[in-house]
Amino acid sequence: MMEALRQEAAKLLQEKRAALVIGFADRPGRPALFVSKPEDCGALVYDAACRQNLAAYLGKPEIRARLPVALVAPPAVLRSIVVLTAESQAAAGQVLALAVDRDAFLGTFDASRAGELLRAKYPDLAPEPALLERVRELSRMSASERAAFWQEQFAKCTRCYACRAACPGCYCNRCIVEKNAPQWVSTAALGHGNYTWNVMRAFHQSGRCTLCGACEAACPQGLPLMTLNAALDREALEAFGSRAGYDPEAKPMIGSWNTDDDHSYMR
Amino acid sequence: MKTIDNGGLADLAQTLAGAGYRVAAPIDDGGVVRLRQWLTGSRIALDAVPVNSIKDFLFPRSEAVARFALGEKDFTSLPVEPAAPKTAVLGARPCDAAALAALDAVFNWDYRDGTFNARRAATTVVSLACARADEHCFCTSVGGKPDGTAGADAILRSAEGGQRFVFEALTDKGRALEAAAGNQLAEGAAQADAPAQLKKRFDPEAVGRWLAANFDSPFWKEESLACLGCGACAYACPVCHCFDLQDESDKKECRRLRNWDSCGFGQFTLHASGHNPRPDQAARWRQRVMHKFSIYPQKFKTLACTGCGRCSRLCQAGMALAQTCERIEALGR
Repeated sequence: MMEALRQEAAKLLQEKRAALVIGFADRPGRPALFVSKPEDCGALVYDAACRQNLAAYLGKPEIRARLPVALVAPPAVLRSIVVLTAESQAAAGQVLALAVDRDAFLGTFDASRAGELLRAKYPDLAPEPALLERVRELSRMSASERAAFWQEQFAKCTRCYACRAACPGCYCNRCIVEKNAPQWVSTAALGHGNYTWNVMRAFHQSGRCTLCGACEAACPQGLPLMTLNAALDREALEAFGSRAGYDPEAKPMIGSWNTDDDHSYMR
Repeated sequence: MKTIDNGGLADLAQTLAGAGYRVAAPIDDGGVVRLRQWLTGSRIALDAVPVNSIKDFLFPRSEAVARFALGEKDFTSLPVEPAAPKTAVLGARPCDAAALAALDAVFNWDYRDGTFNARRAATTVVSLACARADEHCFCTSVGGKPDGTAGADAILRSAEGGQRFVFEALTDKGRALEAAAGNQLAEGAAQADAPAQLKKRFDPEAVGRWLAANFDSPFWKEESLACLGCGACAYACPVCHCFDLQDESDKKECRRLRNWDSCGFGQFTLHASGHNPRPDQAARWRQRVMHKFSIYPQKFKTLACTGCGRCSRLCQAGMALAQTCERIEALGR
């Protein structure tokens, strides 16, 4: 599998279909590896220890300056690439996915075609059972117990924004949390500012999150961010039939409005 | 010689709390080891380097440095008393304690920082010599030692394979804590274990020399490609001390906040005009490395890095400061 991935990456560079390949290095922690020469592709690896969502680099100006880029992409990252395509952040011919699964290299897919592979091979990607159990556990709590749970968790947040940096969906040049005229969210890494920031981050991902887990893996404080993301993922699916990252033509749920939506909450 | 059983640390914390100390210790907090206030029932965890550093107790992530009561057409200043309770940090690492000299230097440079100094004066640091080091540790490369005593008021050294600790007071504050601990620290003899062995990875002076002469090197562009520009490294660092002042108010009161900030953020040096003198991550990562290994030593005669390794241990993108320094040293050869 690894050999097929390396050969394909080298071929993309050789044929100049990609100017840069982003994959994972064979070092502890599996850091990102940036390869621009075909002969260096032998250093690429992929296994379960690779936690970063490499599509997050598509928001970095230094990487955008080096398009076309090919990314090593397991299914959740393929979904991210489709979301970015739907949101005009990844263009056909500029972003290529080196699609991988746990133990297979599945081929190269242009950003505009990644959805086809997902629909054919992974039509029902859903949160892991253990994660869904975390969501159910919280659902069983009363509203005040749940608020207390999150208050305790968010109190640990230092506002380092590692979660935001990890997420391909967080590509705003200036995040709302950094706007100060007017200021929407308290900047103090305390109490209500932390609560607002974390809830808002998750809300902005509802119907867009591909459950890749990179934010939770990046959080130095170990906050269970995926519990929040998975709860919103279920809401988006059940209330709006929205499943992010399958259709590059789909308007993001959070950015669109439909007259058929359930309006019963407005009275 | 004073000793304490490994299992006796909770009792020591309890006794110190009874003697009026706010006790902080590395505590297992749902699988994450955090240096935080010890409360009855907290589980002290000495095996892992905590995710946060000692600076949290001297320079908190957010605090009000000024307050104003807002009137119809005017305002009046309100007093701000620094919260500086008598604190004992139990089980800080030698790399935490070593950071205090670097923090003292910057917080007493052109302006003597009242809140920092009040907390510093009220804090007694009992460090724990490291019996083990992991692949991210590099204290020996930056002038430290796994059993170094710089900055510490007292030190605990593992003995008898970690079953007990030998306690040694090093300063008046340490001796005062020893007295407050009473019979929790028992007179006895024990053979201290060998501290962790850690090979020196680079020479910080050689790194500093290259840095001072290679501001425009293309090295920075490639070296910073992986950095995603969050603040995880700076916030975990025991020496990083940059802050941002923000005024926040409701209708009655305005608070001027001092929040941690990070040179990794794109907006850290963004001017109101839209110009940014550090326009890309290459310039920001260069700043981070230069501040620690070139600017700080020139200004304060001390490095702004103690080799604790938290920055690389926590970095989602695998940015590793020691590795960058190794590469720089190789470039300078």
